[in-house]
Amino acid sequence: MTIEMFEKPLGMRDDFPLIAKQKADLRKQGTQLIEQSGYELLQTPTLEYYETIGKISAISDDALFKLLDSQGKTLVLRPDMTSPIARVAASKLLREKMPIRLGYYSNVFRAQKREGGRPAEFEQMGVELIGDDSLYADAEVISLAWDILKELGVGSARIVIGHTRLLELILADFGLDAEQSGKVRELFVAKNGVGVEQLAKELPIAEDELTSFLKLMQATTVVDWKRWINEENEEQRELYRDMERLEQLLERNGLGDAITFDISFSSHMTYYTGLVFEFYGAGSGFPLGSGGRYDGLMEQFGLQVGATGFGLRVDRLLESVTPEKAEQPHTLILFDEQSEQHAFDKAQQLRDSGKRVTLQYAPAVKALEPFTALFTEVIREEDLRNG
Amino acid sequence: MDELTIAMPKGRIFEEAYELLVGAGYDLPKELDDSRKLIVEAPNEKFRFILAKPMDVPTYVEHGVADIGIAGKDVLLEHDRDVHELLDLGISACYIATAGLPDTEMDEVTPRIATKYPAVASHYYRSKGEQVEIIELNGSIELAPLIGLSDRIVDIVSTGRTLKDNGLVEYEKIADITSRLIANPVSYRLKQQRITELVDKLREQVER
Repeated sequence: MTIEMFEKPLGMRDDFPLIAKQKADLRKQGTQLIEQSGYELLQTPTLEYYETIGKISAISDDALFKLLDSQGKTLVLRPDMTSPIARVAASKLLREKMPIRLGYYSNVFRAQKREGGRPAEFEQMGVELIGDDSLYADAEVISLAWDILKELGVGSARIVIGHTRLLELILADFGLDAEQSGKVRELFVAKNGVGVEQLAKELPIAEDELTSFLKLMQATTVVDWKRWINEENEEQRELYRDMERLEQLLERNGLGDAITFDISFSSHMTYYTGLVFEFYGAGSGFPLGSGGRYDGLMEQFGLQVGATGFGLRVDRLLESVTPEKAEQPHTLILFDEQSEQHAFDKAQQLRDSGKRVTLQYAPAVKALEPFTALFTEVIREEDLRNG
Repeated sequence: MDELTIAMPKGRIFEEAYELLVGAGYDLPKELDDSRKLIVEAPNEKFRFILAKPMDVPTYVEHGVADIGIAGKDVLLEHDRDVHELLDLGISACYIATAGLPDTEMDEVTPRIATKYPAVASHYYRSKGEQVEIIELNGSIELAPLIGLSDRIVDIVSTGRTLKDNGLVEYEKIADITSRLIANPVSYRLKQQRITELVDKLREQVER
């Protein structure tokens, strides 16, 4: 098949000036909050080895863009930011400074299978708090994400929180082995209620516990979770206390009404081993971002430390945020040979006073009317000559 | 109360779903489907119905322009959409099966399969370890074996009448199909209370 001149690779997009501007504003607002909360911004390479980041990233293999370097090694375009940052944090340089707070605003790449229009490259903005396994760290990152959503003006924002480990323990108490539990969690990720009901019939769940099992998908508060907690199991008891404590912390930070505690909530990102969460908002049909605790990922880099963080998708935030309509003033100065010097001085003077000015040699413009219509103020050659 | 946008296929499924909703106590206008309108409102319940092609319902829901929708499991199997499957409504029951001319063996090397469901068919034969060539058709699938285009077809069977009339027989059943209530993942979270309430009410109707 021949490629037409205007075509771009599947899922790649041009950002036109309007979108580029909106993104720049969003980036400024977001990263400012991130830095104010004590996080340092960093950048990691666009290309990584498939053997390291590619395999660790938990993004499915067929969503990776793979290529070969000149030595024949397989590379990937970075599919997420969490794994590269985990690597950076585990490096000798930063190891000594734990806990460390790192933030980022970067593009990531995920190949799309369906509908060429879906973006295969998009920006993510987020933080990672590494070397702190306390609940305060979790509450901090969730609250920071919340602050960013509020600052950007996302409507009816909502956070859903679950706990992978606690869910695992509870499923085990229902008598499920690891494989069955995995199947159930897969259906939970997709909130496939019909699938869960059908699967439940084949599972070794006692008849009188079936209703309770099917109710797992309906819990919305931490109190709702209590019915499934086995008080005799120390780990469950403690994790449940943690969740109660987290709820209090987040309530104190003013997030109370915006949170759904869903015990069946699980992530397809397999490196999240404990707390997991996802963000939603009006305007976008897709989640705005997600995060969680990934202590296990740090272990892969040889560090036994706690780590937690979140990432927000900039393309979806843009759908959720109504951009400021107020048009920025933009002055056009048209000049010809005679008024050139005047025009230049005038532009300099206006720019110094903080205005946005475009200087244009008038005879070079083919259609003057539509061109001048793009500006809020137009200064013509004759105006210049008259002073 | 949040407004709920519901994507529904026109025709029989709509009628059955309408009955279910009315049975569940929802106050809907009497004549919803008999106009050529694509969007109809039920102001008393703050419902807005989008009347769509069955194959498109999951697309609307995935993109969030409809909060919930009613879609056949066949469509959900064929297009792997990112939607929540909340409830089996038990309506429009049928199944997907393979069929062909009676007493025929499939071609040994690469049998040809005509279908409207290429993804379902391909997955089915791959899971059996058979290499096949899939031929996608848009309708009158039964024609394919009759005119020698394919060895087998993969299609929806409800009464088996069409197969019989065309001298075809069913070979293997692939999956049971009913209509499902599906939801957009974000709508599910932002309007969880309303959606859960709807699911509970409909469940009562379905289990009756």
